[in-house]
Parts: sequence; structure tokens; C-alpha cells
Amino acid sequence: MDERTLAYINLFAVLGGLSQLCRLDEECGKLIQGKEISIGIAVKDGPEGTIRFSGGACTVTPGIDRCDIRLPFSSCRKFNGLIDGTVTPIPSKGFTKIGFLLHEFTALTDKLTAYLRPAEGSLEDESFFTVSTAIMFHLILDAVAQIGNVDKVGRASASYIVDGDVRVAIQGGPEGAVHARDHKLTAIHAPVDNPTSYMVFSNMRDARDLFDGKVNAVVCVGLGKVRIGGMISMVDNVNRILDRVSMYLA
Amino acid sequence: MRKVYEYPKSRAAFERACQVIPSGIYGHQGPAEGCYVPVEAFPLYSSKAQGSYLWDLDGNKYIDYMAAYGPNVLGYNDPEVDEAAARQRAISDCTTLPNPVMIDFADLLVETVDCADWAFFAKNGNDVTTCAVMTARAYTHRKKIVFFKGYYHGVSPWTQKIDYAGILEEDVANNLYVDWNDFDGLSEVFEQNKGEIACIIAQPYMHGNFADNQLPAPGFWQKVRKLCDDTGTVLIIDDVRAGFRLDLAGSDHYFGFKADLICFCKALANGYNVSALCGREFLKNSVSSLSFTGSYWMSAVPFAAGIACINKMKRLGCPQLLIDQGTKLKKGLITTALKYGFDLHVSGVPSLFYLRIADDPTLMLHQEWIAECVKRGVFFTNHHNHFINASLTDEDIEDTLEIADEAFMVVRERHS
Repeated sequence: MDERTLAYINLFAVLGGLSQLCRLDEECGKLIQGKEISIGIAVKDGPEGTIRFSGGACTVTPGIDRCDIRLPFSSCRKFNGLIDGTVTPIPSKGFTKIGFLLHEFTALTDKLTAYLRPAEGSLEDESFFTVSTAIMFHLILDAVAQIGNVDKVGRASASYIVDGDVRVAIQGGPEGAVHARDHKLTAIHAPVDNPTSYMVFSNMRDARDLFDGKVNAVVCVGLGKVRIGGMISMVDNVNRILDRVSMYLA
Repeated sequence: MRKVYEYPKSRAAFERACQVIPSGIYGHQGPAEGCYVPVEAFPLYSSKAQGSYLWDLDGNKYIDYMAAYGPNVLGYNDPEVDEAAARQRAISDCTTLPNPVMIDFADLLVETVDCADWAFFAKNGNDVTTCAVMTARAYTHRKKIVFFKGYYHGVSPWTQKIDYAGILEEDVANNLYVDWNDFDGLSEVFEQNKGEIACIIAQPYMHGNFADNQLPAPGFWQKVRKLCDDTGTVLIIDDVRAGFRLDLAGSDHYFGFKADLICFCKALANGYNVSALCGREFLKNSVSSLSFTGSYWMSAVPFAAGIACINKMKRLGCPQLLIDQGTKLKKGLITTALKYGFDLHVSGVPSLFYLRIADDPTLMLHQEWIAECVKRGVFFTNHHNHFINASLTDEDIEDTLEIADEAFMVVRERHS
């Protein structure tokens, strides 16, 4: 597993999940109401991105040009340590706003962890299950894009993907796409018009079982639980990247 | 209007299979491989086959243009081949010492195949493509292999790509990739890897998936042949898919050049399990030096079947017969498509034609049409070349065109 790719996933997919968290979890949405603050994360030889809380929403975008708090990391390994809880960050800018980091931001990341690594039995609560699965869905889309752009093997898969959108959706649930242009991938977190290919999960439970590795994707396609169509070579190659998502996020 | 098929028994069988077989049906015949889209339009299991026809588990009958993905070249259950196999089975099959029918089969291949001075037998196409690459490496003492993008040469690790499950970077570290028909690109790769390239392995023309098949550009193979001669590189033709459907002397012969090694499997014995690597005299010692064999590779029944199959193909003038029937079908399909305003591309050599409705680059329209054909009794697949067999009659072609017409009509009405 490549530390640099993992750092990109951790910043843009895992922490990127904060945007869905604040949108889908009412409590978290309230927590950021009225907050106007941004946290820039700069990883040496790795990703740079800003987590911005503004207007009751959270966005995660590349670059750290205008951030209130700056968290530098000397290596991808150190930043990945932040995500797995073994490294404590020290801001290089924004000491006066550190309270947000210690309180609201920590509460958000704790809640995100609860959704991404649910405690036993928590998925039986239908509303928790729905939010958790939706967050995971969007996180996976972001992770696919990062792996396709950064990871050596993922880039090989992306090199075979023709231009266009692979629509990825769960019937009765979230919808998005993986956009490919010149073999660079971007996650789209909204419905797309005229997709080049599609991969649609029949329902939230089947999708969740796939995300959790409880069922096999090939079997699901055969059984019609995952419907694929259009430019199948795109779906094939996105699936190869998806295999690596589970490796990085295990 | 034709009856529209349903497949409850196939579905039930698949669900049962998923309990005890990884992915239910694995590999190229599996429903997740992209050839069966949408999956519910396709049967998954057959109950019987005869000539050009296949019956699924629900009793639906098809004119089968996949021919078991190639092996069915004379027609399912060809009486001459089956009789030869039955005769041999009554004598011996898998035994401690090989039966001399193996020599008879090798003799026949040497007599039939233009570049063959010898024949080495195995079971599947992958066995002989692997044997060919090992032979080239043994002969040249070089590591690297040149592939043309869009290739398929089997499933051994060296044939796969770095991003495939279970494949190590090291497995494909010596693979070099060039665009099909790009001789300048090929020359550049040779220049960059001087003295390191053991072989080029290629199908006689590009029959990759999801795009129209491409024949070799004029003079392409002749230039490749010369490049190999000039650099001491072994030229391997993977004729597993196209073999005997273009030319009984080998597809290299059809395109006017001579391979060093040529791999056969599918149409070799009309469904009996045998493959063959044939080659030129200078590589015979290298093949002999390999440690490469298998438990069933010298079984006699498939050799007897292969002899009967090749002799019958010779008698029928099989490749031309298949090309002629394929051409009739191709013309009919294109005309039928035009009637409904569709631009159907039929590419490749007509004996193993490839279909694509070109009006829609996403291929969704194409998938819809194929699905409507299958549900009415013509077994096409979405994104693989198809195979003509010698038992296909003019009436079968007429019937196919009627079904194709109805399928085009259904799709047109849906999108009007």
C-alpha cells in the first residue's frame, strides 16, 4: 500500500466525508451553523487541501491558499497517522481558532468515525444505516478518483478508461459519478446527464453488503443486484480501482 | 411477432451455482464479463445443442453465433468427429503411454499448417500461448514480450495487466505495449529495448472488445516479419480465436507472411479439448528443452477428433464456406439495420464478425438490440466477436435476419 495515495484518500475521501456528514446528519449540521472557518492541511510530498465550514455547509477542496488554521505534516505517513489516531497535529497558523479544532472539529471527526466504522448493532437503526451508507458511498467515489490519479496500479486502470461519466447510484439512495477526462478521474456527487456507462445497486442493503465485503461483486452482477451497462470497459476498470479502495480503507 | 423468452430455470440454476461455485459461472462465460448486458436478457445455462442450435435450460432454442466461443466450427455433435472420437475412446484415451494417434495428428498439422514443422499439444489456448512465450525466451535468452494493445492471449499472469486481481508488478514487468498497426511505434520500442525483446505475440488481426475489429494495414505484417528477422526476435501468432476460420494453413498464411510459432485451440477439434503449438524447425529444440506438460495433454480421444475435424474442414473448404456465410449474414444485418435507421458496423473477417451499432458511442443502444435478438432466439453477445460454423444454413441466416428485423423494430419504437 502506498502512503502517498493513502494520504490523498485520507484528505479528499475520508475527511472529504465531512461534507456529506454535515449535510446528512442533523446534529452535525447544527454544530457548524454560523461557523466561518477553514482548516488547511499541507502534507510534504503529498496532498494539500482546505476543509472549509461556511454557510452551514462543509467543503473540501485542493490547495491551502486562504485557510484560517494551517496544519502542516512533514510526511504522508505523519498525516496518515492523524487519521488513524497516532499523531497529534500542531497548527502553524490560527492558534486563536484552535478551540474549533479541539471541540467542533473533533466532534465531527468522531461522528464521522462512528458512521464509517459502526459499532456492532448500530446499523440496525434504519436512519443511522441510511446516513452511514450514503457517507460511505460518497467516500468511495472520492477514493476511486484519488486512487485512479495517484496510485501506480490505479493509474494503470485509469489509463484504460475512456472519456465520459460512469454513473454510480443506489436505487432509492445516493447517486453520483466518476468522471474521466484524459485518464484523470473526478468524483461527482450529484446525478449526471447522459452517462457513458452505469453501475446501479438495486438497494441500500445490497450496496452496503458489497461495501462491507460481505458479498461478491461478480455474483451481484450475475444476480442483477448490480446493474451495469453502456461502455462496459469503463465499469470494468472502475471496478479494478474499487478493489483497491477496499485495500486502502481496510 | 416472435415469442419473447424468459429464463426462470436458468436463474434458479445460477442462484444454486452461486452457493458452491465462485461467482456462479466464472471466466468468459460468466454473466458479469460484460458480454451479457442486461443480464436478465440472457439465458445462463444450456440443456442441449445440435448443429447451429443451442437450447437453454428453459427449453428456448437459439441460433448460436458464439459457437461455444469458437470451438464449434463444424456444428455441435458433428457425426464424423463424434464417430472418430467414439472409435478412439473404445480403444484408449488417457493412458500411461501415449497412443500413436498423437503422431498422426502432428503429421496432419505439419501437412496442413504453412509454418509448421512440428506440433506440440496441450489443452487450452492459454497453455500454448504460454508455451510459445517460454519457447521464445528459451531460444533467445531474452526477457521482454511485445503485445499489441487490446490483446487477449489467455489468463496466465504474464498475459494479464498490472491492475488485475492476483497479479504482481513483477508478473508483467517485461511486457511492452504497442498500438495495433503502428509499425513506427513498434520500431521505436525495439530501438529502446535493443537486444532485450524475445518475441512479439499477436493475434492475426485486432479482435479486441468494445471497438470495431481492425484488419492489418497493407504491408504491416510483412514489415513486422522483417523487423523480427533483423533483430532475432521470435514472431508468435496467437491463432487460438481465428485459427481455421480464415485459412486452414494458418492466419499468417492468410495475411501473406510466415510466423515462427502459431497457437491453435478453438476450432482444432470441434469441441474436443486439445490445443496445439506449431512452429518452425529452428525452435524445435527449444520447445524440447521446456519443462511443460499436463495430466491430460496426451489423451488420445481429442487427437482422433482433431484429425476428423481437420479432414472434414479440408473437404468442405471450411474457411471460405464460413466467410461466405458470414458475408451473407453481414450484408443482411447491415441492410436490416438501415431499414430502421441504424448504422450497424460489422467488422473483422465475416467468419468471426464483430457487431456494433455506431449511432450511440455509449453502446447502450447496441446492448438493447442484442438483448432483443437473444430474447427471440438469436444468440449474439454484446462485445465479443461472433463465430460462424459450417452447419449454418441459408435458412438459419434468413431466420436470423427476421429476428434481427423484429429486434431493430422494437428498439426503434422505444427510441422514436
